[in-house]
Parts: sequence; C-alpha cells; structure tokens
Amino acid sequence: MNIPIDWSTVAPAVIILAGALIGLLVDAFYPRRTWLGSGLPSSIALVGAGVAACVYRDDLGRFSFALLAIIVLGTLFVVVASNIMNFENAMPPGEYHFLLLSAAAGAAMMVVSRDLVTLVVSLELLSLPSIALVGLRQGDKNAIRSAWTFFLASVVSTAITLMGISLLYGVTGSLDYLVIRKALVEPTVPQSVVSVAVLLTLIGLLFKLGAVPFHVWVPDAYTGSSVMVAGFLSTVSKAASLGALLVLVLVALPAAYDTWQPLLAVVAAATMTVGNLGALRQSDAIGMLAWSSVAQAGFLIAPAAALLTLEGLTAPVQYLAVYAVANLVAFAALSVMLRLRGSTSFDELRGLVRTDPWMGIPLAFATLTLAGFPPAVIGLVTKYVVMRPIIEDGVIWLAVVMGVNIMLGLAFYVRFIVVLCDRPDGEPYVSPSPPVSVRIAKTTVLLGTAALLAMSVWPNLILTHLP
Amino acid sequence: VIVAALVVPFVVGALLIALRAELSGRLAAGVGAAAMTVSLVLYALVWEGKEAVSGEIDQSWIEPFDARLHLGVTALSWPFLLMTALVGVLCCLWLVADDTAPVLVGLVLIISAASLGVFSSLDLLLFFVFFELALIPMWFVIAWFGGSSLAGQGREARVAATRFLLFTVAGSALLLVGIVIISIDGGSLQAGGAYTPSLAAAVLVCLGFAVKTPLVPLHTWLPDAHSKAPTVGSVLLAAVFLKLGTYGLLFFMPMLGRFSEVAPYLAVAGAVGIVWSGFACYAQDDLKRLIAYSSIGHMGFVVIALSTQTQVGVAAAVFGSIAHGLITGMLFFVAGSLKDRFGTTSMALIGRGLYGRTPWLAVAFVFAAVASLGLPGLAGFWGEVLSLRAIYEVGVLGKPVAWTALVLAVLGIALTTAYFVRAIRLLGQGEPVPQDADRDLVRREIVVLGLLAAGVLALGLVPGPLLDLYGPLLEVLGS
Repeated sequence: MNIPIDWSTVAPAVIILAGALIGLLVDAFYPRRTWLGSGLPSSIALVGAGVAACVYRDDLGRFSFALLAIIVLGTLFVVVASNIMNFENAMPPGEYHFLLLSAAAGAAMMVVSRDLVTLVVSLELLSLPSIALVGLRQGDKNAIRSAWTFFLASVVSTAITLMGISLLYGVTGSLDYLVIRKALVEPTVPQSVVSVAVLLTLIGLLFKLGAVPFHVWVPDAYTGSSVMVAGFLSTVSKAASLGALLVLVLVALPAAYDTWQPLLAVVAAATMTVGNLGALRQSDAIGMLAWSSVAQAGFLIAPAAALLTLEGLTAPVQYLAVYAVANLVAFAALSVMLRLRGSTSFDELRGLVRTDPWMGIPLAFATLTLAGFPPAVIGLVTKYVVMRPIIEDGVIWLAVVMGVNIMLGLAFYVRFIVVLCDRPDGEPYVSPSPPVSVRIAKTTVLLGTAALLAMSVWPNLILTHLP
Repeated sequence: VIVAALVVPFVVGALLIALRAELSGRLAAGVGAAAMTVSLVLYALVWEGKEAVSGEIDQSWIEPFDARLHLGVTALSWPFLLMTALVGVLCCLWLVADDTAPVLVGLVLIISAASLGVFSSLDLLLFFVFFELALIPMWFVIAWFGGSSLAGQGREARVAATRFLLFTVAGSALLLVGIVIISIDGGSLQAGGAYTPSLAAAVLVCLGFAVKTPLVPLHTWLPDAHSKAPTVGSVLLAAVFLKLGTYGLLFFMPMLGRFSEVAPYLAVAGAVGIVWSGFACYAQDDLKRLIAYSSIGHMGFVVIALSTQTQVGVAAAVFGSIAHGLITGMLFFVAGSLKDRFGTTSMALIGRGLYGRTPWLAVAFVFAAVASLGLPGLAGFWGEVLSLRAIYEVGVLGKPVAWTALVLAVLGIALTTAYFVRAIRLLGQGEPVPQDADRDLVRREIVVLGLLAAGVLALGLVPGPLLDLYGPLLEVLGS
C-alpha cells in the first residue's frame, strides 16, 4: 500500500498547519494573552493557503478549488470575527487558533482526498480539534458536556465508517477512488457486501454533516460552544464533509448508485423536516440557527441524490457558498450581541433593527437569505439551483418535500425577523467591551452582508464563477 | 419606462420607511400617492396595442439557467397593471390623515410595486421573485396595523397574518417546483417559449395559485386575514393579492400542456366555493368577514371561466378580476369608514337606518353592494354573465362538469343577492337609531369612493374597450 503525496493538492493544508504551529509558538513565548499575537500569523497562513490554492488551481480542479476557497475564506472570517473574544479570560487565544487552524487543515485535506486513508485521517484531523474547540472555554460545564457528547458521537461514527472502508477494501483490494470505481463494476463483486460497505462508509460523513438521524449532537454542540466555533462547525466543517461525500460517491461509487441514491434522498428529506421542526420550538437565536443548520444540511444533501447529472455537482457547492456566507454573518452578528448584551434570547434581541441597525439589518438580511426569500434574491435563486437537478433526475417527491420545508423554514425565520423589527422593550443593556475588537467583528459582519447584497443584485457573480 | 414605473414606488416606499421619524403621516401619504400616480400614468402611456408586447425590456440576468430580466406589458397584464396602480393610489389617498404611520404608507407602496412587478414579468423566475417579495411586507401590514385597539386583538391579528403567510408560502413553494419542471422541460424561463407536457407541473402550479386565489378548501387563511387587516391591507389583499392568483393561472395556462386535466377540478372547486361562500356570508354579522367570504365566491366565477380555456372564458376571467378588484376594494373602503366611526364592523353594533344617519356613506355602501351582486349596468354584471357564457361553451371541461358548475353558479348568484340584500337591510334600512359617532363622508373618503364608483360605473356601461382586448366584442357575445 503505497500512497504517493501530491504536494500541489496538499499545499494549502500544509500552509494552514504551519500557521497553526506558529500561532501556538508565538503564544507560548510571548504569553500576553492578547488575540492578535496568534491571530495575526493564523490570518497570514490562511491568506497564504488561499494563494497556494490559486496557484495550483489547475491541478486541483474547479470543484475542489471552489470547496477549498469556501473553507479558507470561511476560516479566515471566523478567525477575524473571533477577535470579539479578545480579553475574555476563559478563552486562551493560542490554543484557540491552533485548534481552529488544525481543524481547517483537516477540512482542506478532506476535500482534496482521493483515497480512503487520506479521507479518514483528514476526517479525524477535522474532528478532534473541533471537539476540543467546543470544550475549550475554561470553567464552563456546559461546554465540557457538549464536547463529551460530540466526542462520543464522533468516535462511534468514525468507527462505523472505518468498518465500511475496510469492507470496501476487502471487496475491491484498493483504497484509491479510481481503482475502487473500476473494481466495483466487475461482475464478480458481491453486491450485498458492497451495499453494506457503502452504507457504513456514508454514515460517518453524514454524521459530520449533522444529517438526521445523526443530528442530535448538533444543537447541543452549537449552543454549548462559543458562538464563532459554532459558526465554524456549521460552515467550514460542513463544507468539508459535503465535499468529501460528493467526491466519494461520484468518483469512487457510481456503480453503487442504487444503494446511495435512495439513501441520500430519504436522509435529505428527513433532515430538512426534522431540522425545521426543531427550529420552530427555539426561543434563543443560537438554538434556532443550530436547528436551522440541520435543516440546511438537508438542502445540501438533496441534490446529491441526483448527483450523476452535471448540475448535481455544482448545485450543492453554489448553495453551500451562499449558505456559508449567510450563516457566518448571522453567527458573527450574534457573537457581537452576546458580548454586548450577554444573551442572544429573542427577548434580548427584540427591536435590534431599530436600536442597532448596523447589526440588526445584517442579521435580518442573513436570515432572509437562509430562508430564501426576497429581497435576499440570492437565497431564493440558490434554492432554485438545488431543485433543478433533483427534478431533472425525476425525483419530484423530494422537490415537493423541499417546497414544504421552505414553508416550514419560513415560519421560524420570519418569527425571528419579526422579533428583530419589533418595538424594543425599554433601553437595552450594553456591557462595556473593548471597542477595537468589537469594531473588527462588526466590520466582518458588514463585509459579509455586502457580499450577500452584491450576490443578490448580480446572482451571476457567484453562479457563473463557482464550478 | 416600465423600470421607472416599478422603481419609483419601491424607492419612495423604502425612503418612507427609513425616514419614518421625520415625516408626518399626511405628508408621507401624499408622497406615496404621487409616486403611485407616476407609476399609473407610466403604465397607461406605455401601451402600444394589444398585438405587441409594450415597453419590453429583456436583459440577461442569471446566465447559467437563462433567467432574464424580462419585463413587458401584454394585453393580458395591462388591465391588471392599471387596476393595481389605481388601487395603490387610492390606498395612499385614503391614508392622508394625521394619525397615519409613514411606515404603513411605505409598506403599501412596496406591496403595490411588487404586485406590479408580478404583472409585468415575462420571465418565470422574476415573476416568482416579485410574487414572494410582497408577502413579508403584507405580514407586517396585517400584524402591526391590523386588529382594533381592543385588548387581545393584536395577538389575533398576528395569528391571522402568520396563517396568511404560511398558506401562501406553501402555495408558492409548490409553484417554484412547478416552475423548475417547466424550465427543464421547456428549456426556457420566458413566457411564450416555455412549455411542459408534464402533469405534475400542471398540478403543482394550479395548487400554488389555488391557495392564493383562493379556492375551497384552501381558503381558510382568507377570512381572518381580511377581517383583521387594516382597511388598506384588506383592500390590497382583496383587490390585488387575489388577482395574483387568477393572473397567475391565466399567465401559466398556455405553458401547461396538461392543464385541461386539472381544469375540471378547478371548476368544481370554484363552483363549490361560490355556493359555500354564499351560505357563509348569510351567517355573518361582521361586515368585513362578509366581504371576505363574498370574495371567495367572486373568485369562484373567475376560476370557472378561465378553466374552460375558451376565448370568452379568458375575457370573463379578466373582466371578473378587474371588476372584483374595484368593487371589493370599494366595499372594504366603506367597511373601513364604518370602522373608523364605530370602532367595529359588526352590523348589529353599528345599528340600522344608515340611510337616515349618514346618507352618503349608506349610498356608497349600497352602490358597492349591488355592484357586487351583479346589477346590470355595473361592472360586476359583465364578469358574471361572461362566466356563465363561458361555462355554457363547455370548453375543455366536458359536459357533466360544466353543467354542474353552471347550476351551482346560478344558485350562487341567487345566494349572493340574498346575503347582500340582507346586509343592506341590516345596515341601511329600518328605523334610524342615531349614535354619537354618526358622521357622513369626509373629503378623502369622497374622493376615494367616488373614483371607485366612477370606475365601476364606467366598466359597467362601456365594457367594450376592455373586452376588445380579447377579441372583438361581437365575437365574444355572438357566435
């Protein structure tokens, strides 16, 4: 078993890892506990990774490049917006950045992996730092509990995936995607074993995506961890798992289409429905976003059920890109509100559009994008984009389920928007905070909103340029 | 030109909301009325004749699936556009009062502009974007400005608004699926180019618009939303929003290859709606709910007419829609006047003898009511007659369905007469019991109601120009 290393494809991940180490070392030798000490090298490393990805663009392929771009930009957004936690004693900056970048490196490797061992290794490289990130806040019992749930669920799912991979290896005699693809069309391959193997392998990835029935850890982990970590988990981590899933089924397993196609369709339908129903009961903005991101995972998986059409591949990536921006904006705005007001419950945020339009309007716009409702045209257009391949493939029932879920989703998104626009009850409490770091975080929110606005006005920007 | 007609109300509406603190309600409403008038005039001037697509604009928008910014005025959409713009102007005029919130004017402008956008879109995705755009502002209109000042009413208004929103979004989500099917089968998103032989598309699109129109049994959002909304909200809902449903059906009909298989169900639902709403109206004490239910009946006539897919049917559907827009708009304005005076629209509480107490208000109400029940010489008459004529032609429906619908529709006409006469008797006639709040029409009410009455009368006496759009008059009535 000899796996050659293709440096052009792992270069971004390596650069990110180097940045992680530098960040940790800087913090170790100049322990002043300020955010910039390790944040700056991290940011530089991410920019470097982005440059590397651009340089090797042709070797990566359009698809991997787009996913890498989402991962690198998403992490950069998280790093910059995390400045909001500056001077928060419970959060150690060096460790935070180290773990965050390690996870990002895992994500970057995951989307370029073309064999099963790399997939598992990068999956672990993404998972383990993520778990630590969730439990990183010192002295927070909730965070520790969330991290434990996350850890146990993660380990079980990885074990299941390993089982599936070993079965696949047993059947085909290889770990390389292309070899597996050729081996699976041989008539001598035992079909029942292949089905089981595919099923088990996919479970691990679906778990990372937070798809039903493996979604239970999601709300728990998001509400327990600090807000920007939740933002990271809901976008970058999801982008990586989705990319790996799509590549795996498309490159390695087209022969087992009959196994994974119905599986993914049912999982997608169940995920969006359960996620939306869960979100309906929330009265806290972060809890709502956590459940909504479960529902959004359903929309991401749905076009995978029609993957063999050409659009089946581009549609989820385009949806993912818009979802990532909107979700990051929402989480960043909420982290600012959490720092300023100490809570993100609906009661606390009531009337935000009136009292603080510079945070309230971006939050409302991001929510509209997630709901897919004009004036956030881009949200609606991407919903259209993910429906197209499904219908082209003839899975109309799934499209109708999506339609019903757009309605369900709107029920709670509108409730949140109404809360934001409502008349506030009295003067809100605003805690004293370091102005610079708040300003940096606010700037990221505004930049993200500007991106969403630009995409709404010219949907072409993103729809023609992503794969 | 069309772009200007759309952008002006949007921008003015957004500005009014942004500058809500600096403006008085009276000024805001005046500005709003001016903006809508600009739009109305532009739409009236853009017309180039019924064969052409007037003022067409066609620019690339989203290249990967060939969605275009494609706007234009056709013979089908022109009457709807003028009616919507007119209703928008009147709603703003109605709001020229001191206690108006500028935000409400802004929302009214945005809703009107979005509806105008729906009527002028020739691209299906653009149509859908505008279709959705009007919904959330409408939620705010109903929930924030609806209900009365009585305790507990605010919550009811919210519930009604949310139900309205969820029903319509469920419908439009199905419509979106239908649009995707059409675009994939037809390879185009442009009206005229797109066509699908799929039955699923026909069912989904019809279901989507059936919620909006609304057809029994998908109408349950309507009575609450209409009766809880503020006056302008009710008017916009009845005169404009319901038309989005009927216009949508007319607009998509040529693109759906198997519409004829869905048509009988539409026709039956419409006919059942006519009778059902008749009975429901007869039992109402609340005037606004009565008008709301009567809308379901009128929309039933429109849907039956268009489901025949004949030329007369299309003419009847358009005429019925426009007439309903003006008449029901007028009825809701009258109900609004009553509510302003008495704080309620319960006919029992308002008391009898309005002829003696507030003569002009009573006259306006009776005029609108008899127009609504289809008195010859007024606009409502032609819509109903042409509908019956269209059913008589059977069209794609098939004899049994058509005749059933015809019988139910005639029964419905009788019921309509009965419940409006009852309402007139309860409010207008009888021994006057004067109340403190008795006050005849003020100037803004005279202007609004007068313009609407003139419109109703004009359409009733000279239906020719409108009908000519869909084939020469003689051809429609003769043959």
